[in-house]
Amino acid sequence: MPKEGLFSQLKKGYRGMKSDLEEPDVSEIELKKKRFRLIVLFGSFMSAIAFLISISISSGGVIPVSEAVGALFSSIRKAVEGDTNLDMVELYIYNARLPRTLASIAVGAGLAIAGCMYQAIIRNPLVDPYITGVSSGAGCLAMAATALGFSIPFLADNTLYVIPVAAIAGGVVAFVVTMTVAEGSGGSSINYILAGTIVGFAFSSVQTVFMSLGKDNLTDVMWWLYGSFGNVTWENAWIVFVPVVGISIAAMVWAREYNLYSMGEDQAAQLGLKVKRFKRVTMVVASVLTSLCVAFVGIIGFVGLVVPHACRMALGSDHRLIMPASVVIGAMLMLFADLVARTVMSPAELPVGAITAMIGTPVFAYMLMKRGRNYDG
Amino acid sequence: MTDDPPVLRVRGLCKEFDGFQALKGVDLEFGKGLLIGLIGPNGCGKSTMMKCISRVHEQTSGTIEVDGKDVSSMKAAEVAKLVANVPAEAGQTFGISVMDMVMLGRYPFVDRIWWEDPEDERAAKEAMKTFGIYHLRRKQVALCSSGERQRALIAKAYVQEPKLMLVDEPTSHLDMKYKLQVMEYLQKMARSDMTVMVAEHDISLMARYCDVCVIMKRGEVVAVGDPKEIITEKLIREVYEVEARVGLDADGEIYVLPKRYVEGSL
Repeated sequence: MPKEGLFSQLKKGYRGMKSDLEEPDVSEIELKKKRFRLIVLFGSFMSAIAFLISISISSGGVIPVSEAVGALFSSIRKAVEGDTNLDMVELYIYNARLPRTLASIAVGAGLAIAGCMYQAIIRNPLVDPYITGVSSGAGCLAMAATALGFSIPFLADNTLYVIPVAAIAGGVVAFVVTMTVAEGSGGSSINYILAGTIVGFAFSSVQTVFMSLGKDNLTDVMWWLYGSFGNVTWENAWIVFVPVVGISIAAMVWAREYNLYSMGEDQAAQLGLKVKRFKRVTMVVASVLTSLCVAFVGIIGFVGLVVPHACRMALGSDHRLIMPASVVIGAMLMLFADLVARTVMSPAELPVGAITAMIGTPVFAYMLMKRGRNYDG
Repeated sequence: MTDDPPVLRVRGLCKEFDGFQALKGVDLEFGKGLLIGLIGPNGCGKSTMMKCISRVHEQTSGTIEVDGKDVSSMKAAEVAKLVANVPAEAGQTFGISVMDMVMLGRYPFVDRIWWEDPEDERAAKEAMKTFGIYHLRRKQVALCSSGERQRALIAKAYVQEPKLMLVDEPTSHLDMKYKLQVMEYLQKMARSDMTVMVAEHDISLMARYCDVCVIMKRGEVVAVGDPKEIITEKLIREVYEVEARVGLDADGEIYVLPKRYVEGSL
């Protein structure tokens, strides 16, 4: 049988991967490597398309792709050279579209991979990135900052940072409390779920109190509670993009350890993994990832819960495939959700968290009906 | 007579959980190529002892040597090359396939970050063929029958190439046929120079297949030796607080038939 190239494999897509399985005695490692390359290639291709669509379409209308790409490159070149003389399209693409698009990619990828890490380590399919109470803590302090009119002394001129800084502080406080309670009660997965749930409830109830206190200026914080990329600028896009993409890729190094965890903690420990330390490090890394994601764009649900499941249903249980696939699918879902959020009711913007669920639910429901019978979480 | 160190040497092993003494100074010593049966009532310390030997639990005091090496001073991944552990049930396995599960047994041997070597894959496939599950390699563990799952777990431990394999209640969910099949696999491994220790409640099954039996009660070893010599009605009454008929069948195999629990023991 002639050896097939990667592109013909890509053309055949999933069917191609299935026909590989029918060959007797094929190397499973080689098969997985092939699937991995396919995910990277397919992911890069689709992300590039989604990226181009994202920078070309806006609430103001459609810029032809060729013009958008030209403006993108020329604006980047000018920015690198320090030339501030940008034309209208360049200004629009460089200052409005590009940071928002990069933030969408980072947050989609970050939430999806954080969900993947939490589900693997807690071994519970209902777990999402907000399981450790990060979102409730962040929401509570964001609401408190708005209701009580906080200002940050060294950032007094930039009110844009008050909610994100409060959100990060709240997320960290909630996580520290959850971790203290969970570790104090034995540190098992169920301890983490219960501790995260009660801490989440506590912060949510305090948030409700602040909500009633500050009902006159709620609009300042509502965008954050429902998630929006509307306030993303170059200043904060980097703060989200660089660490989130960096951590997401770095976390994939542990893919085999997450596979080991699927056998349970005792088996993982017996095979040589320091399970307690690994779990703590994962919890901290995934919570940092989640806090960074929610700080500037607010609470966006669905992606972190469902994207890892969808990838598992399509690709099996190996985290070496699920994690890169989650990054790609999470980023693409978020790009399209943001595109829909800012265009369908233009000039008004819809909450992006609602759109991710609207796009994702029918797709996931279809997958569940098709493959749910043979799916073990 | 060779100078090989014993495969397992346990001296004064104690394990305490929140004031409860699960193991109270266990001493054991076994050479290679033995199938050892660990017998005792629920909570007598069988699983705890196996978890201490495989370093899942840290012992409170005492020493454990496997193949002449003190496992408490070794890294967990190094211990995993000497001792393999087969749990009673696979539990929730998150859609993992039989092949992927067996390959996880190679984890201690893989130096690379992501992908295993072809050599690891060859070992995993070989093990699956040995235990008759090669045709199931792409099936999810969760969708396999109890017998298939148990064989997959044994294959996973087998690819660790251990000197000592610890098997916890391997037949508790299996019907008669699979019980015998699993015991025969374990016996075959013991015959190939791997020492296998099995904790099990079916005393007749243990007596029939094991070379040596260890009887435990409340964290202590009460008898060690040839099952035909040590398993008596008196011992069963003492350890389990149950009256039982112990006899030999027509083939000379020992059988234990529980009759009734001793009044006042519950």
